[in-house]
Amino acid sequence: MDLVKWDNPAPKDLWEAFDGLRGELDRALDPFRIPSAAGLLDRTTAPAVDVLETKDEYVVMADLPGVDKRDLEVSVTGSLLSIRGDKKGERDSEKRKIFRKETWVGSFSRTIDLPAQIDTGKITAELKDGVLAVRIAKREEAKTKLIAITTE
Amino acid sequence: MEAKDMSGKWRIAIPACSISEDAGLVTVKVEMPGVAKEALEIKIEGNELSVSGNRSLNAQRGHYILNERRAEAFRKIFTLDDTISRDDIDAALADGILTLKMKIKEAAKPRRVEIA
Repeated sequence: MDLVKWDNPAPKDLWEAFDGLRGELDRALDPFRIPSAAGLLDRTTAPAVDVLETKDEYVVMADLPGVDKRDLEVSVTGSLLSIRGDKKGERDSEKRKIFRKETWVGSFSRTIDLPAQIDTGKITAELKDGVLAVRIAKREEAKTKLIAITTE
Repeated sequence: MEAKDMSGKWRIAIPACSISEDAGLVTVKVEMPGVAKEALEIKIEGNELSVSGNRSLNAQRGHYILNERRAEAFRKIFTLDDTISRDDIDAALADGILTLKMKIKEAAKPRRVEIA
């Protein structure tokens, strides 16, 4: 039995190597860095999250592969959005041999402080293909309004 | 795993995976959140089993307050050895996890030799 991970070829040009080095330094020196949820060495038990502000709403997207809808809880308290859940794995059997395990199982939670002008009455959450999308509407007074310019 | 190249594009990420074997059945699980069935490709070329998938991160345009999800494409290549049956690979995608089930060839399974 041999399932070998494909090995990345060496960087083709010198600049690419410098690019990686700079990124590494940036990451090492950034006190607010948020680790990625994927990967073996930089793995954390917190899902990767995007927060996007559009004209009318805030969209929070979280990568939650393998998380069942029933094991997921999304709540809002004031301006704090909390995503917590439990990622369940396969039941371990004694006969099962594990060759590689880069994925994690267990409980996780992530709390995001959203700007105050959210309308907690207008929130929708959808889980599709392992990605959670939470849409939170902005309050009417927080939306950008266009002011018509009149000429005399 | 995540690095921008010179043109500012995100490179292809290697998804996290797990490999286990139980009674001649090899299970490979690859985490690819946000990848729909249509955007997934599983290929066998010689001894290489490659799995690749694309996803669109956000449908809407806007201003990012937090941006941790960066991989737009995933690719992982496994090397299959001769003990794995090529014809009998089962693939299923559910909740962002691709599960590949492969069988070990009968000839490669351990055999018990009875003492006469």
